[in-house]
Amino acid sequence: MIQLINVNKHFGPLHVLVDVDLTVKSGEKLVVIGPSGSGKSTLIRCMNLLERPTSGTVIVDGVDITAPGAPLTKVRQSVAMVFQQFNLYPHKTVLENVTMAPILVKGIPREEAEASGLEFLDRVGLKHKANAYPSQLSGGQQQRVAIARALNMRPKIMLFDEPTSALDPEMVQEVLDVMIGLSQEGITMVVVTHEMGFAREVADRVIFMDGGQILEEGPPEHFFEAPRHERTRLFLSRILR
Amino acid sequence: MMEELAALAQWHNVRFMAEGLWITLRISGLTIAFSFILGTLLGVMRYSGHWLLARIAAVYIESFRASPLILLILLFRFTMPLKPVNSGTLAMTLFTAAIVGEIVRGGLNSVDKGQWEAARSQGFTWWQTMQHIVLPQALRKMIPPLTGQFITVVKDTSYVWVVGVQELTGKGVIILGQHGSTL
Repeated sequence: MIQLINVNKHFGPLHVLVDVDLTVKSGEKLVVIGPSGSGKSTLIRCMNLLERPTSGTVIVDGVDITAPGAPLTKVRQSVAMVFQQFNLYPHKTVLENVTMAPILVKGIPREEAEASGLEFLDRVGLKHKANAYPSQLSGGQQQRVAIARALNMRPKIMLFDEPTSALDPEMVQEVLDVMIGLSQEGITMVVVTHEMGFAREVADRVIFMDGGQILEEGPPEHFFEAPRHERTRLFLSRILR
Repeated sequence: MMEELAALAQWHNVRFMAEGLWITLRISGLTIAFSFILGTLLGVMRYSGHWLLARIAAVYIESFRASPLILLILLFRFTMPLKPVNSGTLAMTLFTAAIVGEIVRGGLNSVDKGQWEAARSQGFTWWQTMQHIVLPQALRKMIPPLTGQFITVVKDTSYVWVVGVQELTGKGVIILGQHGSTL
């Protein structure tokens, strides 16, 4: 479970998150939408403290990670993140990318980490690329490796920060398919995306952000059928076309 | 001219020069090895942004980088109870470390910020991220400027001649003196 209580974030003069309160239930699939600059990336990055809120409290799995001296590295082991730019480790092979953190951070024996790593690579359809380097893969393949890397940490929560935004159009679906597969499991997912088809298929709840605030929330159907705010309607009309 | 050169090419002169070459190589080898270690440490310190360590590194780097090498060699010769060859090597090491430190910092800065985010999000500590993710990538980018700097080190060993060390330049000057010629 993730709980944000009265979270504010300032970047210099910019007030990026304004008094945000949000609770993500265990196992929930939450999709975050909103125009660029609305604070949705900052919001998701506060959930593993890649961004530290200027004020407010973030509680992950019962641990207040905004408290001074919070066991951040411990909490992060169960909160995996997938980035827009993949951020694979370019000097390591695909298999090493997937096994490094389990071995070095969690202390899992190498053979075990490699066995489970290969399983997850197989699941994203890239077992045959285990010994390739990230630069030898397409964008969609790199993002699928990034998902396998995240999964090999056996996280309870997965954060996706615009996972398909940097991909060529024909590669978007292969990544979404992997994510849809994931959503069948008990894992908690928070996904920042513009893919409304994905939201409709997977999300338990969608939140629409604008100006650093959660303007509107509800099940995905709500956004397709009867968005309340004019701002939400305008945004959806632009991305749904 | 050609006859003068031929006169120089005698076996005892060649051996004499070889001794100088050995000293040159020893000074450069030690300087390169130790300045690489110290420079990496300085570069990481300055890059870290740590309020104290980063400032110590910045003061060190800017002071040594701004000093003429030959001045440092002279200064160390007359202020330290060391043999000239050792005080010279020390001066070169400390000077080169400052430059290597800046090369290291540049290399670290060139590593994409997303690498930090990915590693930290996986639970890596700052040191683990530096050691396993960022520094190895930075070192690769540092190879060209480091090679250039280390070539400069080998050439700059000739400065140590001014404190009486008979390395390659020093030996050469002696031979020329013996033959009463400066070519």
